[in-house]
Amino acid sequence: MRQRLAPRRRSPRIRFLSPSVRRRRAGYLFCLPGMTFLALFLAYPLFYNVWTSVHDVELGQLLGGAERFNGLENYRAVLDDPAFWHSVRLSLIFTLGSLLLQFAIGFALALLFARPFPLGGLLRSLLMVAWLLPPVVSGTLFRWLLDAESGAYNALLTGVGLGALSHDWLTDPSTSMAGVIFANVWVGVPFNMLLLLVGLHTIDPELHEAAAVDGASAWQRFRHITLPLMRPVSVTVLLLGLVYTFKVFDIIFVMTGGGPVDATRVLPLYVYEVFFTFFRFGQGAAAGLLLLVVPLLAGVFYVRRLRREDEAPAGGAV
Amino acid sequence: MRPPRHPWRLTAVATVITAAFLLPVYWMVKTSLTRPDRIQTPTPQWVPTPVTGENYSTALGYEGLTRALLNSLVISCGVVALTLVLGVPLAYALARIRLRGSGAMVLALLVAQLPPAIVLAAPLFILERRAGLSDTYLGLIAADTTLTLPFTVIVLRPVLRSVPPELEEAALVDGCGLPGVLLRVVLPLMVPGVVAAAGLSFLIGWGEFLFGLTLAEGPDVQPVTVLLNAFIGQHGTSWGALMATATLISIPVVCVFAVFQRFIVGGLTAGSVRG
Repeated sequence: MRQRLAPRRRSPRIRFLSPSVRRRRAGYLFCLPGMTFLALFLAYPLFYNVWTSVHDVELGQLLGGAERFNGLENYRAVLDDPAFWHSVRLSLIFTLGSLLLQFAIGFALALLFARPFPLGGLLRSLLMVAWLLPPVVSGTLFRWLLDAESGAYNALLTGVGLGALSHDWLTDPSTSMAGVIFANVWVGVPFNMLLLLVGLHTIDPELHEAAAVDGASAWQRFRHITLPLMRPVSVTVLLLGLVYTFKVFDIIFVMTGGGPVDATRVLPLYVYEVFFTFFRFGQGAAAGLLLLVVPLLAGVFYVRRLRREDEAPAGGAV
Repeated sequence: MRPPRHPWRLTAVATVITAAFLLPVYWMVKTSLTRPDRIQTPTPQWVPTPVTGENYSTALGYEGLTRALLNSLVISCGVVALTLVLGVPLAYALARIRLRGSGAMVLALLVAQLPPAIVLAAPLFILERRAGLSDTYLGLIAADTTLTLPFTVIVLRPVLRSVPPELEEAALVDGCGLPGVLLRVVLPLMVPGVVAAAGLSFLIGWGEFLFGLTLAEGPDVQPVTVLLNAFIGQHGTSWGALMATATLISIPVVCVFAVFQRFIVGGLTAGSVRG
């Protein structure tokens, strides 16, 4: 307002800027460092990956030099590699197996912890510890728990009379995938539970009360009230789970290194091997970009869902 | 949900489930406290008798463990500092100032969380080497911050949005400059969000493995997660010492979570469900 009243004389030293303009300038200034950092350390490397994927780059060119453009040659090499398709299959098994199990168990636990009872909050927080441990720690730990000779799980099986089922889980190619899924589900359950709990708390308790008054059984209430109302949250949780699970690297790398032979070499481990073991940078970059397809698709869905919720007038919590 | 008729019965059920679920953690600590000659027995002991610190002294005697723990501490504190310095102003601007392009920036931050770390580790391996950043704390801190920064801004934005704009306007009218408003009015109100972001960034930096594995060559800057993985190869079946190392790595995680629990759980759900 003040600048309108002031004489319209341009002074080189004092410039009158409205507070809103000043504020906007400050805003861009605030964004600058963070966005520059992400441009340098995230966006540029990803674009550089695209560049590498269409060049013939190997260990010799690590410090720069004569990289030869070779078009889609790297992509063809990856797509012609049976090991790549094997990894795609393993990634699908690992992701679907982990996702379904951790969602189902997480949902069951959320239903339990949604009811108020003494010490509920404390126990729920304790469960989160599984999710918080560094994946390398949980990987090492499950390697020991699933150990053939003196692992805790085999001892447990023997203890309850199922000794016949005790097994060398991680070194047998036919069960190693089950072993890493088991460990990964353990890590993922608390996170699923936490997000599903938030969803359960948004359900109006009066709905359940009214249905109970009308004589609906607990199962009917679950089936016709809880499940349909939990659908949007469930989709969100599964989408997030898909993105997280598809990129799991640490826990598998530590538990089996992708083995025995290649029984647990999911896509991220395949990319690692091509790039860091064989130093085929061009092919590794191409495989890495192919690995991006699934998370990006899931991300598109996720963002579109967020958009729709932003537009919703009531702005439901989830 | 209706209040249950027998709440203590639910407590009992939940306690049994929690105990069974956390058995692996108990087993880790138990193994680390068991005498080495009693660990690999056909029928394992459920309670270590006698309790011994032997595995811890063995582990701390392994070459590089103390150094690696220190490295991890430096790296994760660096990650927290860099994340907050870059993230707090960014989150403030995106939450409270009408900017052209802020929608695009928020979208970019959401997308930034999608790529698997290996897709980033590969080009960073080449680029950091050429820039002389490989094998430095700074190189690792920067790589880890690509994970924490987008996350932090997404967590902080809803927190900042909930601060009523009138508070800020009143302070501005009272003659507080914008920096003053930020320091005295906005910052105190965002403390819970910042604490959550700091705690989560620390946990991510402390547990990070892949960048440590690919961007640090030598023991000088290598984080302890990479060393634990190397121990499995070197000390194969010394499970007592391995579990002692794993326990040592877990202690700060549990401490940070215990202290910041409320904030972290709140921040986590706000960030991932509400976007």
